[in-house]
Amino acid sequence: MKLNWTVAVAIIVVVALIGGAVGYVLCTKEDKVLRLATTTSTYDSGLLDYILPEFEEEFDCEIDVIAVGSGAAMTHGKNGDVDVLLVHSPAAETAFVNDGYGEARNLVMHNNFIVVGSVADVADTNHSANATTAFEKIYDNGTAGNVQFLSRGDKSGTHAMELSIWKNLGLNASLFSDWYVGTGLGMGDLLDMCEEEDATTPSYTLSDDATYYQRLSEDLIPHLEIVYNYQKTDGLLKNQYSCIVLNETRFPHINHTLATEFKNWMVSQEGQDLIASFEKYGQQLFYPNAVGYTPSTTSLKSSTSAVHSEGQSNVDAVISAAVELKVKVHIWCDRW
Amino acid sequence: MKPTIELRGVTRRYKDVVAVRDASLTAMPGEILGIVGPSGAGKSTLLRLVDLLEPPNEGELFIEGEAMEFSSPKAAGARRRIGMVLQRPVALNRSVRNNLAYSLRIRGADEEEILGKVDQELKRLGLAERSLKNAKTLSGGEMQRLCFARATIFDPDILLLDEFAANLDPSNVSLLENQLKSFISTGSNKTVMIVTHNLFQARRLCDKVALMWDGRVIEVADKDKFFQNPDDQRTAEFVKGEVVY
Amino acid sequence: MVTTTGLELIEVTLLSLYVSGMATILGSAIGIPLGALIGLKEFGGKGAVKTITYTLYGFPPVLSGLFVYYIFSRTGPLGDFGILFTPTAMIIAETFLVIPLVAGITITSVVEVDKNIKETVRAMGASSKQTILTVMREAWVGLVMACMVGFGRVIAEVGAAYLVGGNIDGKTRVLTTAIMLETRTGNFEWAMALGAVLLSVALCVFLFLRLIQEREML
Repeated sequence: MKLNWTVAVAIIVVVALIGGAVGYVLCTKEDKVLRLATTTSTYDSGLLDYILPEFEEEFDCEIDVIAVGSGAAMTHGKNGDVDVLLVHSPAAETAFVNDGYGEARNLVMHNNFIVVGSVADVADTNHSANATTAFEKIYDNGTAGNVQFLSRGDKSGTHAMELSIWKNLGLNASLFSDWYVGTGLGMGDLLDMCEEEDATTPSYTLSDDATYYQRLSEDLIPHLEIVYNYQKTDGLLKNQYSCIVLNETRFPHINHTLATEFKNWMVSQEGQDLIASFEKYGQQLFYPNAVGYTPSTTSLKSSTSAVHSEGQSNVDAVISAAVELKVKVHIWCDRW
Repeated sequence: MKPTIELRGVTRRYKDVVAVRDASLTAMPGEILGIVGPSGAGKSTLLRLVDLLEPPNEGELFIEGEAMEFSSPKAAGARRRIGMVLQRPVALNRSVRNNLAYSLRIRGADEEEILGKVDQELKRLGLAERSLKNAKTLSGGEMQRLCFARATIFDPDILLLDEFAANLDPSNVSLLENQLKSFISTGSNKTVMIVTHNLFQARRLCDKVALMWDGRVIEVADKDKFFQNPDDQRTAEFVKGEVVY
Repeated sequence: MVTTTGLELIEVTLLSLYVSGMATILGSAIGIPLGALIGLKEFGGKGAVKTITYTLYGFPPVLSGLFVYYIFSRTGPLGDFGILFTPTAMIIAETFLVIPLVAGITITSVVEVDKNIKETVRAMGASSKQTILTVMREAWVGLVMACMVGFGRVIAEVGAAYLVGGNIDGKTRVLTTAIMLETRTGNFEWAMALGAVLLSVALCVFLFLRLIQEREML
């Protein structure tokens, strides 16, 4: 077979032009697009896949969710890369607003931190009066060499919560010896690591309940359980989520209107009720607590059927997806 | 009549090795000049200097009466009028046909003209049926003949040959020499400089012969004089094969 | 969706091909001529340039992502173009990864072309430019290899794609970032399945390139 250079170059030029055109189209941000930065744990819980379509339909828009580490989400906010944040690091958020990056912290919902360890619970955290005491027991046992504690170590909301508890005890975590393991892992990975490590040394960690339940449902952490749960007494282990619209004066380019509509919707009766109705692994994962919210009495959308397609034959999935895609492409082409 | 090629006091050095030393030589139109000498005498280097592949450190070069500056456009133009077959010529990684066509293509000939000339050469080489095969599949002798054809297909006035029939069996040698003879017969002013180890070949083909020794041109004489009655003692010894290298 | 559905699988695969394909084309369009020039021309500091090129093979993709992020972030110098979190940003970041790889392999390929070819071609009367082009055609096998390696690098990278793309469902999610997401949420089997898809895609592309590589050139 011979290759005609002219034809080859012509093909490459055409491909490049098409590529450029596609890129241009995919590149432009329209008015109807809202950019939301949130954390990986929020996104991975599946909450957003459940509630956002409602907003998108009602307000005829698209929401681009950028799910990154907690610190990265705040950085994107500070650099004006997005329009609105949904995060859960109260101290960082307060600084964010005070420094003029965001308008205000709008409380939206909370879930809970739990202390996770093996069933044996060597440090006996289960019988603690509050989280501080539980941690104290872990500290005592840790320094005695009986247990180890695995930390996120990544400045996430969970990590911040963990450090504040050590601080309550007057302890500085950076001075802990080997029983305290700083990892830099995400929550899910950390739980997996905890499960592994527990085989050799009884291990504890602080986790959010959503990730814990998710790992549990996948049967990835059979040897771990909740050894201390906030619901026992104190509100110390509350993981508070807030929605922050970026400051329009500082970032004039953002889609401020849509961002505000979104924030308002999140704290509205409708949005809050929707959050409450989100269930996974047979549990309600998020508890709406916007200012002035009271739960609605009317029943809402039932729990998520959407997310896992595990039972479905993958071949069928791909075929039906191909058909869906064809329709999507037709509609997209129609726009032109 | 102006010489086609003229070297005046040309020296070529590489770091501390002097390959060509103060060499002066002329070749007239229509003349076949042979250059012989022991290995390392600088014969190949001399040829490369004539083809403007390398610049001389000292001395001057004239092609068809015009002085040549190494990197000038005039030199580039001259190189296009010179055909050269290197000591180890290689085939390009493409078909036989396209190897032949290459020297015409880079000179901007149009495709029809190229087609005609290439077909003609292929017939002469006896490679017409294999014209689309990759040139690397040719035997040594065939490759050499291909390279010779490649260097003459654009009808140059000057042809430089560096041991063009070395390492070939006698039948291929004679085929190549016939190719050379037919090239010469295409025009009355074809100038050929041929470097060779083979004194018999020099005797067969050349009008004039020059001896190079240790970078210098020792003697230049008409063929008969060179072989039978040379001026220089070294020439006499060389042609008798008595020199120990 | 947090868990990739069938439709998303197709979208993600096509986007992977688009982003990495464009990056390979652009990167090769720059890298091949660059490598040929470096390999064939003499200039001061040539050795240093070659060393730097080879060193950049090990350039961490996420670092390329960071550079692109700083340039195209809203507060960055080219932020107003709004390229961040689009496939274009991903293409740019990946192109930077392709260029040194393609250039480096091109350098080696053209240098390894039989020295006699360069000589022969010059002796045939080729100009400087013609010589370089001819040598490049002799090095064809190596040049296609360079593109293959370039493509291989970017189809498999995740750091830059994640950072400047944002892994946005339906817009900037590619196979590698989808795998990362599935792994993060503990769906290891689905992650492996996505990995298999990625390898299949790569296989198809490399098969095509191999065909080009072995074609008899004019």
